[in-house]
Amino acid sequence: MEPDVSIETSCMIRVAVLPIGSIAIPLFRDYTSMLVRHYTVSLSSISSFYTEHQKSPFAHQPWDSGSLRFKYMVGGSPASPWEDFQSNRKIFAVIGICHCPSSPDLHSVMDQFVTACKSYSSSVVQRCFAFCPGDSQLEDESFKGSNLILFPPADRQTQEFHLQTMMQDIAASLLMKFEKSVLQAESGGTILKTPLDSQASLSSEEVIKAKKRRLGRAQKTIGDYCLLAGSPVDANAHYTTSLELARLTGDFFWYAGAMEGSVCALLIDQMGQRDQFLDDEVKHRYNNVILHYRKSFIQDNAQRVSPLSFELEATLKLARYLCRKELAKEVVDLLTTAADGAKSLIDASDRLILFIEIARLFGTLGYHRKAAFFSRQVAQLYLQQENRLAAISSMQVLAMTTQAYRVQSRASTDHALYQESGQNHVDGGKAHHNWIVSLFESQWSSIQMVVLREILLSAVRGGDPLTAWSAAARLLRSYYPIITPAGQNGLASALSNASERLPSGTRCADPALPFIRLHSFPLHSSQQDIVKRNHGRDDWWAGSAPSGPFIYTPFSKGEPSQSSKQELIWVVGEAVQVFVELANPCGFDLKVDSIYLSVNSGNFDAFPISVSLPPNSSKVIALSGIPTEVGSLKIPGCIVHCFGVITEHYFKDVDNLLVGAAQGLVLSDPFRCCGSPKLKNVTVPNISVVPPLPLLISRVVGSDGAIILYEGEIREVQISVANAGTVPIEQAHISLSGKNQDSIQLIVYETLKSSLPLKPGAEVRIPVTLKAWQLGLLDPDAAPSKNISGSTGRQVKDGCSPVLLIHYAGPLTYAGDASINGSIPPGRRLVVPLNICVSQGLSLMKARLLSMEIPAHVGEDHSNVQVETSSAEESPRTDRFMKIDPYRGSWGLRFLELELSNPTDVVFEIGVSVNMEDSNNEENPEYDYPKTRIDRDYTARVLIPLEHFKLPVLDGTYLVKESQMNRTSTRKSSFSEKSSKAELNASIKNLISKIKVRWQSGRNNSGELNIKDAIQAALQSSMMDVLLPDPLTFGFRCGNNTAQSSSDLNLDEGSNIQGARKGSVKAHDTTLVEVLVRNNTKEMIRVSLSITCRDIAGENCVEGDKATVLWAGVLNGITMEVPPLKEYRHSFSLYFLVPGEYTLLAAAVIDDANEMLRARARANSCDESIFCRGPPFHIRVNGTM
Amino acid sequence: MASTACFMIVSRNDIPIYEAEVGTAPKKEDAAHQHQFILHAALDIVQDLAWTTSAMFLKSIDRFNDLVVSVYVTAGHTRLMLLHDSRNDDGIKSFFQEVHELYIKILLNPLYLPGSRITSSHFDTKVRALARKYL
Repeated sequence: MEPDVSIETSCMIRVAVLPIGSIAIPLFRDYTSMLVRHYTVSLSSISSFYTEHQKSPFAHQPWDSGSLRFKYMVGGSPASPWEDFQSNRKIFAVIGICHCPSSPDLHSVMDQFVTACKSYSSSVVQRCFAFCPGDSQLEDESFKGSNLILFPPADRQTQEFHLQTMMQDIAASLLMKFEKSVLQAESGGTILKTPLDSQASLSSEEVIKAKKRRLGRAQKTIGDYCLLAGSPVDANAHYTTSLELARLTGDFFWYAGAMEGSVCALLIDQMGQRDQFLDDEVKHRYNNVILHYRKSFIQDNAQRVSPLSFELEATLKLARYLCRKELAKEVVDLLTTAADGAKSLIDASDRLILFIEIARLFGTLGYHRKAAFFSRQVAQLYLQQENRLAAISSMQVLAMTTQAYRVQSRASTDHALYQESGQNHVDGGKAHHNWIVSLFESQWSSIQMVVLREILLSAVRGGDPLTAWSAAARLLRSYYPIITPAGQNGLASALSNASERLPSGTRCADPALPFIRLHSFPLHSSQQDIVKRNHGRDDWWAGSAPSGPFIYTPFSKGEPSQSSKQELIWVVGEAVQVFVELANPCGFDLKVDSIYLSVNSGNFDAFPISVSLPPNSSKVIALSGIPTEVGSLKIPGCIVHCFGVITEHYFKDVDNLLVGAAQGLVLSDPFRCCGSPKLKNVTVPNISVVPPLPLLISRVVGSDGAIILYEGEIREVQISVANAGTVPIEQAHISLSGKNQDSIQLIVYETLKSSLPLKPGAEVRIPVTLKAWQLGLLDPDAAPSKNISGSTGRQVKDGCSPVLLIHYAGPLTYAGDASINGSIPPGRRLVVPLNICVSQGLSLMKARLLSMEIPAHVGEDHSNVQVETSSAEESPRTDRFMKIDPYRGSWGLRFLELELSNPTDVVFEIGVSVNMEDSNNEENPEYDYPKTRIDRDYTARVLIPLEHFKLPVLDGTYLVKESQMNRTSTRKSSFSEKSSKAELNASIKNLISKIKVRWQSGRNNSGELNIKDAIQAALQSSMMDVLLPDPLTFGFRCGNNTAQSSSDLNLDEGSNIQGARKGSVKAHDTTLVEVLVRNNTKEMIRVSLSITCRDIAGENCVEGDKATVLWAGVLNGITMEVPPLKEYRHSFSLYFLVPGEYTLLAAAVIDDANEMLRARARANSCDESIFCRGPPFHIRVNGTM
Repeated sequence: MASTACFMIVSRNDIPIYEAEVGTAPKKEDAAHQHQFILHAALDIVQDLAWTTSAMFLKSIDRFNDLVVSVYVTAGHTRLMLLHDSRNDDGIKSFFQEVHELYIKILLNPLYLPGSRITSSHFDTKVRALARKYL
C-alpha cells in the first residue's frame, strides 16, 4: 500500500528527487521545496520544448487546457512489484540535487548521480541540478549537453524561473518518452505480469489464458500512459477496450484496475467540476472496482500476495473523494470497512499506512476523536517496531492525538486565551456550574493516562528527554490519585532521568509538582501600613477609613463584589511577601530546588527559596521579592525549579482544579488529601507599585522585644524611631490604641514634632513612661495557684499591651517624578506595639488585722511617753510625738499585717507610707516606716499600725444606725441600712487609699503594690473597731507639777547614771498619779471610775488583805462627769512598798448610757450597765538605792 | 450473553460519569483501556447521528475489529454507550431503557450534580444486574 493515495494518483508521473554529493539537509529541503512547487506543468507551456518525432498516439491531447502532473518522491523510493499493473507506480524521472560549494568536483558528482540512477531502471529522464556553481565550474565546458544542469547563482526569483524552465523541459521529454512507450505497447511483445499471477505453474492452460488476457492488459497500460500524458479522452477509449477484454477473459484484477483508471480519466476530463451525477458515477464505478478487487482474491496464493491492499486502497480513494461533511455517514462506513480489513493485511507497514490514511481521513471529516483513535493505533504499530526512529514517529503521532484526548502540552495551547476564559463568569449557580464543567470537558482520565504513558514510553525510547519529562509531569500532576505509590515513584525517577539528559535551565511548559495555590497576600506588616492621605485635613489619616456611622451604606453605588476586590499598594524598593501553599500529594519526598513568584510585568525582583516537601504534605511558605518600578503588577503564578526543569505554575490552574474537585469533576483535591484545611478562594488583588515612601522603623531602646515589668512597676522607656526610607518625613502624629492604654502615663510628643522633617537615616528617641498593670486583674482566680507554684514571670497574652500609632507622611508630591501629579502620595502608619510583659512581682498572700495590747508605762519622766499612751487623735501635738515613737506605749494596737511573698528572683524592698493629707492633721502628710527587705523566694510580713485612722469623735450617726441594725437583725436590711453601710465602706476606702506600699528592686525597678482589695477584705469584719474610737479613753500620768516632781527628776537623773530604766517610780515614796479620762462623744457622760492596781502576781494591791499600796485618794466609785470631747483629770497618789512591776487599770461604769453608747458596746438589753475599760498601764517600781 | 462488554455513561460534556466492565471474559488491563478508546472514538459518530433520528436508541453505530458500539442518547444528551461483541438488539435496547430509568432516578436526587460522576453503589449493582439479565 502507498500513503496519500487518491483517485488522481493514477495520472501522476513519479519523479525521484535525490541528494547528490554532500549537501546539508536544510539546503536540500530548500531546493526541494522550490522543485515540488511544480507539481503540474501545463501542456501549453511545454509545447516549445516538444518535438513530434512521429505521429503522437495521444490523438485527443488537450494542448491548450491539459497538463502533466508530477509526484515527487523525495529521497527516492524502491521499485514496486506492481509497476506493470499500474504504470503510475513507475519512477519515470530522476532528479539529482547537488550543492556545488560543498561538492566541488562535478565529475564525481556526475558519477554519483549515474550510480544513483541505476537503481531506477524504469526512469527515462535523468537530470542532475547543480546549484550555486563557482566560476570555474561554470566555465567547465565538459558537461555541456550532459544531464548536469548548472543553476548559476542568482536571486531566488531567477532561480525559480530557471527551475521552471528545466521542469518544462523534463515534462516535454517525458511526454515524448510516453509516446514511445505507447507505440511500443501497442506493438505488443511485452508480457505484463503482476505478483498475483501464479508463477509456479506455467501450465499450457495458463499460458493460453495469459495470452488471451495480454491484449486487455496492454490496453490498460496504454490507458495508463495516456493518463500520465494528460490525455483523459484517449485514456478513456483505451480503458473501455481494456474493460471489455478483461471481462471476457475473467481478469477481474485488471478489470478493476482499468475501471480505476477510467474513473481517474473521468475526473481529469471534468477538470475538477463536481456534481451529484459525477459523485454517483464515481461511487458506482468505485464500488464496482472494490467488488472486482475482492473477486480477484485467490485462495491459493493468499499467504504470499493478496489484492486486499488494492481493495483497501480503492476504498480509501473513494473515501477521500467523498470526504465531505454531508457525506460523512458514507465515508465513515467506508473507513470502518477499511479498518476491518487491517486484520487481514499481511504486511505490517501496509497496516500502518492504512491506519494513517484512515486517521487522516477522519481528521479531514472533523472526527477528531476517531482520528486520534487511529493515530494511536499507528503509534502502537510504530512502538512494536522497537527502534528509535519508529519510537520518535510514534511519539510524534501521539503528540497529534493529545488535543483530542485533552492531554495536550501547555506549550501547544494558547494559554493566555485559556486563562482569560472564566474571568467573567457570572455568579449564578447554574451558569457557574456550567462554566466549571466546561473546564473539564472530555476528561476521560483512564484513557488520558494511557496516552500520556505511551507518549512517555515512546519519548524515552526515542530519546527525547524534554517530551518524556513533559509527559511524566502531566501524568503525575493530573492523575496522581489513580497511580499507585510505586508508579508515582517510577514517574519521579522518570522525571529525574529525563532531566539528567537535559541541559540545565531547560524550561518546560507543563508544570509537574508541587501544586501551588495562593494562600494570602499579607497586608502590609504593621511597620509598613500605607494609609491614604486625605489632603487638606490636619488629621489626614482620618478620612481614609469609611466615614459615617454605617458599615454598609445602601446608597453607595457599585456591586458588592467590588469591595471584596482589594487593592494592594507596594512600594518600590521595599521587600514584600506573598504566602503560597504547596502540596505534594504523592508518596515520595519532593525537593523543590527553587521557587519564586513569576511576574510578567518585569518590575519585580523575586527571591527564590528552596523547599522540601515530605510525602502527602502541604506547606505554606512566604515568597518574597522587591518591586523595582512604578506601575501595576500581576502575579499569575510561580516559577518552580523542580526535577531539574524550570516550569511555571499558574494559580488559576490550581484554582480551577480545586473548583472542579469541589464539584466532583476531578479525581481529587491535592490540598485536601494532604490534610490542608479548606481555604477560601483568594482573590488576587490589584497590585500597584508606587514610588518610594518614607519608612519609619521603631525599636524600644535597651530591650530586645518585650519590656518586662513587675506588677505595678513604673518605668520610663525610650522608643527610638528611625526613617529607613529614602524620603524625608514631614508629618507625624502619635496616638494611642489597644488595651491597657492607661498604663502609658506619659509620652513626650514634642520630641517627635520638634525633629520634623526627619531626614532619611535620622533617628528620634521618644521617652514614654509606663506603669505596669496588675496581673490579677486579668485572671483573678488563677493568681493564687500561681503563687503557690511559685512560677516566676508569667508571659502576658498578646493584645494586652497598648499600641502606639504613628501616622507619618512624606512630602505632598513625589520626589522628582512629575508624571504622577494629581495624586498625593499616601501616608503610612507605624504601629509600635509596646510589648509590655508584666511579670508577677511581689504578691500579697494574705492581709489580716492583728490586735495587740501593749501595756504602757506610767511614770516615765518624758511626757511624750505618757502622751503617746493616750489616743492618737487627742491633739495635733500628740501626733507629732507619735511620729517619733509610734509603737511604744500604745494601747490596744491594731495592725494590718500584710504577708508578701517574693516569687521572683530579685530582692525587693518594701516601704510603707501613709498619706495623711486627708486626715485632720495636715502638717504631717506622711509617715514612713522602716524598709522591709524581702529576699527572693521568701515571704515577709509588713505591719501597718492602724491607730491613726480612728475617728476623733464617736459620732452617733454611724452607731445609731448600727444599733438599729443590730436590733433588727432579723429583719431584712432596708435601704437606709445599705446606705449607711456604703458610707462606712466609703470611709474605709478612704482609709485604705491612704496606705501606700511602695517597693523597689535593684537600681531602677520601683513601683507600687496594689493591696486595696486585700486591705478591704481584712478590714471588713472589724471595721467598727478600727474606725470608731472608744467612747472613753483613759490615760495615766505621773504628776510632774507636784512637789515631788523635782525630787523625782533628780532621782531619775541618778537612775539614768546608773543605767536604770527611765520613767520608773521608787518604792517607799509617794507617787502622784493622774488618771485622764477623755470623753470621745459629743455628750456629757457621767461615769463611776475605778482604778485597779495589780502586782506581778496579779494580786489586787488596792483592796484586800495586803492592800499596802494606796497612799491617798479614792480609787473606787469615783464619780465624775466628763464633758463632751474633753478630758477630766483625777489625781491620786500611790505609795509602793515593794519594788517590782505593777499594772494600773482604769475602768468606768457609764451611768445613764444613751443609745449610742449601748450600740458601741454592743449591749444586749437596755438595763445592762455599760462598762468601759482602759488598757493596762505598767509601772515599774524600783527599790531604794 | 456477551463475552465482552463495556458499558459507559457519558455526560453531555463528554465526561464519562459511569463505567463498568460487564463482560464475562477475563479482564485485561489493556483491553479495558482499548474499550474506552473505542467508545471515546465512537462519540464522534454519535454526535452526528443523534440529530438524524428521533429515536433514542441508535442501535450499533460503530465497530472496531469484532467490537460493536451501541448507543442510547437521552433527551438531555447523556449517552449510554455499550461496547459488545454480539448482536442482540432487543436485549440491548431493553438494557438501555432500564438503565435510562435508573439514571433518571439518579438525576432526581437533589444532591446529585448533573454532569458529575455517578458514585452510587446501588446504581452500580443495579446496572450489573441488568447487564446479566439482558446481555
